[in-house]
Amino acid sequence: MRILVIIGRVLDPRGIVVKRQAGRIFINREEYVLQPADRCALEAALRIKDATAAEVVALPRGPLPDDDVLRQALASGADQAITLTGEGFDAAGDAVMARVLAATVQRLGGADLILTGATTLDSGQGQLGPRLAEALGWPQIVRAWQVEVADGQVQAVQQDGAGYVAVEADLPAVVTVVPGALKPRYADGVRLINVYRAEDAVERWDVSDLVSESMRQPLLEKRGQDFPPERERGTRLSGTAEEMAQAVAEPLAQRKRR
Amino acid sequence: MDLSYLDLLMAQQEEVAEAEGGGGIWVVASPLDGAVAPVALEALGAARTLADSLGAYVYGVLLGEDVTDLAQSLYQAGADGVRVADHPSLARFALEPYLKVLSALFEEEQPEVVLFGATEAGQQLAARLAQRLGGGLIEHVTAVSLDEATRTVQATFPVYGGEYFDIAACPEARPQFLTVEPGAFPTPFLDPYRQGEPTLLEVEPVEPAVRVVGPAEGFEPPSVPLAQAPVIVAAGRQAGDFEMVKRLAAALGGQVAGDRGARDAGWITPEQIVDVRGVTIAPELYVAVGIRGDTFHNAAIEGAKFIVAIHPDPTAPIFEIADLCLEADPQEVLPLLLEALGAV
Repeated sequence: MRILVIIGRVLDPRGIVVKRQAGRIFINREEYVLQPADRCALEAALRIKDATAAEVVALPRGPLPDDDVLRQALASGADQAITLTGEGFDAAGDAVMARVLAATVQRLGGADLILTGATTLDSGQGQLGPRLAEALGWPQIVRAWQVEVADGQVQAVQQDGAGYVAVEADLPAVVTVVPGALKPRYADGVRLINVYRAEDAVERWDVSDLVSESMRQPLLEKRGQDFPPERERGTRLSGTAEEMAQAVAEPLAQRKRR
Repeated sequence: MDLSYLDLLMAQQEEVAEAEGGGGIWVVASPLDGAVAPVALEALGAARTLADSLGAYVYGVLLGEDVTDLAQSLYQAGADGVRVADHPSLARFALEPYLKVLSALFEEEQPEVVLFGATEAGQQLAARLAQRLGGGLIEHVTAVSLDEATRTVQATFPVYGGEYFDIAACPEARPQFLTVEPGAFPTPFLDPYRQGEPTLLEVEPVEPAVRVVGPAEGFEPPSVPLAQAPVIVAAGRQAGDFEMVKRLAAALGGQVAGDRGARDAGWITPEQIVDVRGVTIAPELYVAVGIRGDTFHNAAIEGAKFIVAIHPDPTAPIFEIADLCLEADPQEVLPLLLEALGAV
């Protein structure tokens, strides 16, 4: 069985400071980490590998200037990692990536299960998984908390209101994993050293071999940034205890965890 | 003031008529508890504003079982036309049946813009349809503006959970799909005199590819460390009854924490102390119950998105950094608050 894991990188938010009034983002420490949701997807794939001896292949969720996250996946236990490069590929959005990844799946000779993160930490977009499922014509399970494979089926746990439900679909399928769903393992130290020592540990595929240029035109265009207003602190509520409780109940109910 | 003439004036309005030809701004709505989901009405309001600037028509699509009667509220919220897919196979959201109806509809109608609510269902449908029809998609939209020259919608969406916002657009791709964040747009005025006759869509039942087996028995979501918890309710020396604090945390789906005073009182473990020397936190919501808020504590909660403080002393430093301040005795307010939250 072959499992593909699609992973990306994100600028570590602990290294940036957003100055709302100045309308600027200060990057104090430019450090990229594996997207948290993708990291859980990788962990889910590796757990299935541990249980069924499946083959795990790591692929990028977008254009990657370096292949650190793919090397991290290799060191954590993935069998193969492929990075995608090509001219004019830097601006590829999720729509293009879905086409490119679908072509990659064909080139690899198919796959049984594709795992990826349900949402990105920075832009919060969760469209890559469903878009890829559509491009391949496969069923999709989104926002899974737990993924298992048995008898040609994928079984997952999804949140449903206050509780959790078990769902299943036939393989091949695309499953997106919620950030924080699983406790990810650390990359093995010795493997990490070896993965960085071997220069060709990550295969390079050119996207121009995979999809035609007209299919690689990015759809999304960035048009700017906006900053929320500075927080207004210290709104004091007045009135009797009952009135105050009523007044605070609504903002609390809005923000409570669903 | 006598406003009855206004009613008369409005009653003269004709029935909403639909335009011929494709294009238009479409809003996909689903029912929630026997009414149209609030986010769908908010999306309709946003669509109406866009359509008025573009000179386009607004259409609503309603999917579900026994939903034909709800079509009128879409007209009232500003739709010029409503399509209804009413079928038992659409009673509960399942991807493939919904997708079949919508992709057939949109292939025929060639919409310019399609709006969904950013719900679990809306997110899945929008992404699948965008890929199928070659459209662009921006998720979790909180504001929209127009680039009128190219009839492109510029959408704002939060980055890093709202630290700042990015604005993006799909100038080439049509349709432009957007999923609208619940609560981001105002609910439009429901004009009771607007009404129309919805068009019923043919529905062919399809088997969903994902089968729901049943409740996930024995599944426990992994515990979130305090530093990453989205909701935290913390107690301090003035909290009074710690049981009430725990109940408030349960009602808000949050975790319990406290300051050093709560540790001294034996209410919490050392791992639950919110303090720069203990745990630094950044939740969406932080409720400080009876915490005075010394420098170490206040520095540790700087990352919190929304802070509610309850303390009897009006000079407590916690009030300087809280968003909502309640100068009251927690023992008095908490029972009332739990009652107001419906958690008694």
